Amino acid sequence: MIEALEKVLQEALARLSSLVMTYLPGALAALVIMLAALLLALLARWMLGRIFKGIGVDRFLRQSGIASVLTRSGQPRTSRVIAAAAYWAILVAGALTALSVFDTQLTTRMTDALVRVFPKLILAAVILVCGLWLAQLLGRSVLVWAFNENLPWPRRLSLAVRVIITLAAVATAADQLDFGRQVFLAAFILLVGGAALAGGLAVGLGSRDAVRRYLETKAPEDQPREERSLWDHL
Amino acid sequence: MASHPLPEPARQAAREIHRADIVLGIPSYNNARTIAHVVRAAQAGLGRYFPQYKSVIVNSDGGSQDGTREAVLSCRVEDAHLLLLASPLLPVHRLSFPYHGIPGKGSAFRLIFQIAQALEAKACAVVDSDLRSINPEWIDLLVRPTLHAGYDFVAPYYHRHKYDGTITNSIVYPLTRALYGLRVRQPIGGDFGVSARLLSRYLERQDWETDVARYGIDIWMSTIAVAEGFRVCQSFLGAKLHHAKDPGADLSAMLHQVVGSVFTLLEEYEPVWRTRTGSAPVDLFGFRYDVGLDPIPVNVERMLAAFRRGCEDLREVWALALQPATLAAVRDLGGPASRSPRAFRLEDELWTWIVFDLACAHRRRPLERGLLLRSLTPLYLGRVASFVLEVEDCFAEQVEERIERLCLCFEKLKPRLVAQWRGAEESRPARAGRPSSVAAQVGEITTLEVQP
Repeated sequence: MIEALEKVLQEALARLSSLVMTYLPGALAALVIMLAALLLALLARWMLGRIFKGIGVDRFLRQSGIASVLTRSGQPRTSRVIAAAAYWAILVAGALTALSVFDTQLTTRMTDALVRVFPKLILAAVILVCGLWLAQLLGRSVLVWAFNENLPWPRRLSLAVRVIITLAAVATAADQLDFGRQVFLAAFILLVGGAALAGGLAVGLGSRDAVRRYLETKAPEDQPREERSLWDHL
Repeated sequence: MASHPLPEPARQAAREIHRADIVLGIPSYNNARTIAHVVRAAQAGLGRYFPQYKSVIVNSDGGSQDGTREAVLSCRVEDAHLLLLASPLLPVHRLSFPYHGIPGKGSAFRLIFQIAQALEAKACAVVDSDLRSINPEWIDLLVRPTLHAGYDFVAPYYHRHKYDGTITNSIVYPLTRALYGLRVRQPIGGDFGVSARLLSRYLERQDWETDVARYGIDIWMSTIAVAEGFRVCQSFLGAKLHHAKDPGADLSAMLHQVVGSVFTLLEEYEPVWRTRTGSAPVDLFGFRYDVGLDPIPVNVERMLAAFRRGCEDLREVWALALQPATLAAVRDLGGPASRSPRAFRLEDELWTWIVFDLACAHRRRPLERGLLLRSLTPLYLGRVASFVLEVEDCFAEQVEERIERLCLCFEKLKPRLVAQWRGAEESRPARAGRPSSVAAQVGEITTLEVQP
């Protein structure tokens, strides 16, 4: 009985030691890779932060007006964002390398999938950032233009422009990632179609009175002088 | 200059005339109804006051469709004997050319200056084509200081209705006076005299394709003259009565071009204005007299409505440009607590802050410059409404005193602009740090020292 127990234990220990002997070097190698990646990521974050600060990227973005459309405050933190992006990219690359050390089917599949999806992720992120940039820029332009043209609800118009452009960017980014393509596309079409219909109805119904008033009143030359006084100011 | 040479017809005409002592320019665009009077006054002025000089009248036209150019070339000075002309009288040449490039007053001026330079003119003057109050004496007052007294730039000095010239009175005059230290009362008057030396300086600059090509030209000319140390004087021209501007014109665009030019030049001439304090009077020629002026009706309610709408709608844009304390004060003013129209006041200190904040934001570019400047319109209308309400029962002298108070406020708070200009980010207070009152902040700010 005891002999049988000893035999089982020996076999279990042998299997365990075999497992340890099989995976320990790999695990140690993965640990070393992760540590190296962490050190490299920290170094890259520090260096990029210094470099971008040194060449005045934030100042350039602020002075070129790009910052104001990327951030609501107009005070960009580009150096910090780029440094953080590099930090996480190196850590993820390190993790993938560490996983590939084990050379199992699962880790290989994970690495392959991530490597395949990475360019798409980058492209989707670029599309999203450009879309947000455009949404801010056009949203603010529409706000100021609508205000100066005395149009009703300038803020709502501006918001509508922002939502439509952002949604278009999200739909395009999702399309790149093959993620919920039909859902986003359908939502975008519904929103734009609805907005166009609402706009058409509003203009059509609202302009009835305007057209009637225009026809009832005389030509612009006969407007009272005070209507012109605002222009006559230089 | 080389990128924009004198057009061939103008070059040909200059070759034929060869040389001229005086060039008088009249920019125009669809001014057939008024330009003949201006040309006649110019011709009579040149004949009466400068008979011994060879003179040329140049009309620079923006493609008028109403026969403006024909009116210039065909009008005659009637009853010449009434002008008591001296003899011998040299003929006054008249030229009319369409200008090329960006449509606008500045492009028209450029062609006039180019022709004046090609003719080696000793003096050049420009007058608006829609003037109703111009008379021959204007030509003498604009040309003589440059021709005989060694001045380089002659700015106009008019009597204007108290509600006229509000961009001048509320922004351009106080700001340029506080910055450059000279009291040029009408820096964007539109009628100027320029020496050959200053004219060459204008033409060698490379910024003609900016807002300078449009309404920014007047302040651009005045600022260069003042900031670069040219000899500047003013001539009293009486009343400025002119034809109503195109009602299709866009107030926002006009304001944007003038103020944009002021702010852009602010960057270029920073070393000049940073160290200047106070202001000095400028020589004034001409016999001053009181004149009757056309009344200008204004709609205060509409201006106030635009201001309040701006406070609600443009908050997001203003938050990027104005300091938090300024923004808070503006919002309080536009809020429901201050709904009594007659009591509305946008005080001098707050207005000065707004202008200084916008000038710094224009440099810092927290948002696109065009947007920044266009968002100024409701603030400007608020200030004009406040001014109108304040001076509605005042006479001309009292109004002038009121404008003088505003100018002194700009001069007093200039150290804030200097401090904020360089350390825009560092000096930006935290959003939570809203002051209890506007006056309290003025006290704080005026204690700042001017940076050397």
